[in-house]
Amino acid sequence: MSPPSSNFRRTIAILATSRHRTLWLLMACSLGAMAFGQQSSNTETAIRALEKEWTYAQGHNDNRALDLIFDNALVYVEYGRLVSKGEYLARIKHEIPSSDEIVMDPVTVRAFADTAVVIGTYREKKLHRGQREIKRWRFIDTWIYKKNGWVLVAAASTPLR
Amino acid sequence: MAAFCLAALCCTAQANRDSKEEQELLALERVAKLQACESKDLATLDGILDDGFLYVDPSGKHYTKREFFTFVKSADSFQYVTEAMAVRLHGNTAIVTGLYQIRIVLHGQPSLERGRFVDTWLFENGKWKGVASIDVSTQ
Repeated sequence: MSPPSSNFRRTIAILATSRHRTLWLLMACSLGAMAFGQQSSNTETAIRALEKEWTYAQGHNDNRALDLIFDNALVYVEYGRLVSKGEYLARIKHEIPSSDEIVMDPVTVRAFADTAVVIGTYREKKLHRGQREIKRWRFIDTWIYKKNGWVLVAAASTPLR
Repeated sequence: MAAFCLAALCCTAQANRDSKEEQELLALERVAKLQACESKDLATLDGILDDGFLYVDPSGKHYTKREFFTFVKSADSFQYVTEAMAVRLHGNTAIVTGLYQIRIVLHGQPSLERGRFVDTWLFENGKWKGVASIDVSTQ
C-alpha cells in the first residue's frame, strides 16, 4: 500500500483550510473516477480522502456533503443498531456541531476493482455529564464505485475493549 | 405496449436473478457460520473466504484470514447462530446484515455474545467470496 504523494498531501492542506468543502468533495469523487481501472493506490488515496471528508462533514452537520458520500441503500450499524441513511442524516442535522470530536487513526484500505474495504480505529471524545470521555472504536467501511463516483454502502464500528 | 412488456420482462428477469443471488449468499452465510466454524471445517471456510478476508470481533480485535483460522482451531467449541439476515446487492458486491449469537468455549472458559453483523461479499471468477466481516455487540 503506498501512501498519498506529497503533492496530494499539500492539496489536502490547501483545501482543508478553504471554505469550498463541497468543491473539495466533488474533487475527491473525481479522483475516485480517475482511479477506476488504474492502480489500486489511486483508489486508496481517493477512499482515504472520502473518509476524512465524512468525518469533517459529520462534525459540521454538512448533510449536503454526507448525502453525496452515502449510497441511498447505506447500511450503518451505530451502537449495535441498524440505521438507514435517512435516519443517520436526520440525527446529524439536529446535533450540535462538533459536540463530539472524532479523531481518525491511520486506516488500511483494501481495493478490489470497484469495491474498497477500509479497516481502522478512531477515538471519540464525548462530553458525558460534564466529563470529557474518550472511547476507541474499530470499524469496517465498504465503498463501491458507482456511476457518479465512490459511495459508502456499509459501515459498522465496535468499541475496543 | 411492446416496449412496456419488454421492460416488465427485463424487470422480472433482474428480480429473479437478484433473488437467486440473495438465496446463494444466505446459504453461504449459513455454511460458513453455522456449519464450517462449528465443525472447524477450514477447507470449506478457505473456499468461501477471500485470501484478503478481514474480521473484527465484538471486542474490536481484528483478524486476517490466517489469524481467524487459528482462532477457530483454538476454540474448544464454537457455535455461531444467525437470524434476521438481509442482503443488499450492488452489482458484484453484496452486503449481508443480520443478528448473531456466538457461544464459544476458549481454554475451558465459556462465553456468550449477541449482536449484529455486517458482511461484505464480492463476486469474482464466478464465485461469491467473503472479504470482510464485523460483529458488533448489542449487549
